[in-house]
Amino acid sequence: MGEFFIHAKDLWYSYEENDRKMPVLRGISIDIRQGEYVAILGHNGSGKSTFAKLLNGILEPEAGALTVADIDLASPELSDDDIFKLRRVVGMVFQNPDNQLVATIVEDDVAFGPENLGVPSAEIRQRVDEALATVGMSAYAKHEPHRLSGGQKQRVAIAGLIAMRPSCMIFDESTAMLDPAGRREVIQTFEKLNREQGITVLTITHYMNEAARADRVIVIDDGRVLADGTPYEIFADPGRLISAGLDVPQCTSLIHALRGEGVKLEGEPITPEECADLICRALEEKKNGNAHA
Amino acid sequence: MATLTLENISYVYGPRTPFEIKALDDVSLTVREGSVTGIIGHTGSGKSTLVQLLNGLEKPTHGKVMLDGVDIWEKPREIGKIRFRVGLVMQYPEYQLFEETIRADIAFGPKNMRLSEEEIAYRVKEAADFVGLDPLLLDKSPFDLSGGQKRRAAIAGVMAMKPEVLVLDEPAAGLDPQGRDTILNGIRSYGKKTGSTVIIVSHSMEDMATYCDDIVVMANGKVRLSGTRDEVFAHAKELTEVGLDVPQITRLALLLEERGVCLPGGIYTVEAALKALKPLFQ
Repeated sequence: MGEFFIHAKDLWYSYEENDRKMPVLRGISIDIRQGEYVAILGHNGSGKSTFAKLLNGILEPEAGALTVADIDLASPELSDDDIFKLRRVVGMVFQNPDNQLVATIVEDDVAFGPENLGVPSAEIRQRVDEALATVGMSAYAKHEPHRLSGGQKQRVAIAGLIAMRPSCMIFDESTAMLDPAGRREVIQTFEKLNREQGITVLTITHYMNEAARADRVIVIDDGRVLADGTPYEIFADPGRLISAGLDVPQCTSLIHALRGEGVKLEGEPITPEECADLICRALEEKKNGNAHA
Repeated sequence: MATLTLENISYVYGPRTPFEIKALDDVSLTVREGSVTGIIGHTGSGKSTLVQLLNGLEKPTHGKVMLDGVDIWEKPREIGKIRFRVGLVMQYPEYQLFEETIRADIAFGPKNMRLSEEEIAYRVKEAADFVGLDPLLLDKSPFDLSGGQKRRAAIAGVMAMKPEVLVLDEPAAGLDPQGRDTILNGIRSYGKKTGSTVIIVSHSMEDMATYCDDIVVMANGKVRLSGTRDEVFAHAKELTEVGLDVPQITRLALLLEERGVCLPGGIYTVEAALKALKPLFQ
């Protein structure tokens, strides 16, 4: 494999509307290595979902270079076989848990992908069992998908992808319709896949708290990359995010507001724990300072 | 203005079949007149069933839905009238836009109420205003609007009927932070300016803490907690137990308290946290 699992350079894509071209991606360049855990942020219409759809061949690039898992998606010689191979390697989980399950029994749904790949039936059995165990749904193997909760349905959808042994999984707002517990279940599942199996995880989200957990955050605005860095680097500049129609986690927002009031705080905490540490430390220093004075 | 009261409501799906499920179990509740009330609960807690009972889309198996002291099912043939008084915005309402222009779509409800042309025109403009929809968009086709704009148009369509109770199921789901704030601000200002009661179902604790006066917590078909947002978000442990959460900033306040930093209760927004912490650094 080349240096990058995903290599996009000066990539363009337009939708046609009333015979007019509406460019959504305007020369976007992103490189992602195998095994990275990346969150993609952007307001509605920024182009982030379009980018994701190009990555597993749902859409075709209009101009520019795009290579995913050594498959050249911008090549004029791109074949159906290439797309077939790509879909096996790059799996996608969408927003609505009710739109992604096809079978009437959980384990049949998980078997659907490997069956289509022509995997021998003994191996399918093994893959399905492993996949369900990985997402913590083994006890539901014989259940009907429509009776599961939203978080459980999304985990079955994830199991269906795992059974195809992908090296990259894209989550396109997969937690948007879930309750807080369901959201936690799905996030913990893909974080485990990233950590333990080295699967590249791309998560597209509007929840800043979720993006803050990733190793790297890419902000897309107006079809281009506005910012790319660690969560600490990205959330250190709330103004830039707000002007892009986004937000920062509440704790980050509080630290910046306190600084605005003249309180000296060093560091860029994101989680409540880090934020509490920083505030306690600052209060302690202040107390010691007063004692000396 | 209207007071909505639920009296011992139960709702059973598939009664007397092997698939019988009790979605609501003896729910009693009064929604404060003119309040913005949030309903939170895990998936399958019964909240979506509950909202469908409020405008008579579903009929409770037992119990009564009372609007200003009158059972909405007292005259079943007139249940249609209740739907003008209690407006329901379902999840992803933008998929239900069907007219050729946004203006015609927003006017559909008021037209069914047989209002005059002038009144309809006025209401369309007013509703578009509430949700922050640019008047220039009114003559466009729904196909030409972005997802967030379509969502606002669909909500405006229900507001244009000026319901005394406006019920919205996940009005901000899938929107970016700016789109979310525009819509929730618009909904809150509709309630406060018209005096209508607003009920919002959501999975976002942060949004509920920012935009609601009162909160009802549903779990397994029952009301687990209800009260003002301060009262409800003070029960962090109980909320986590039923698959919910408190806003991130509230979690921080609890952590600080554990570590001996004394803060007043009821910290659920960044502003409240700032106000509480600032004096400690002076």
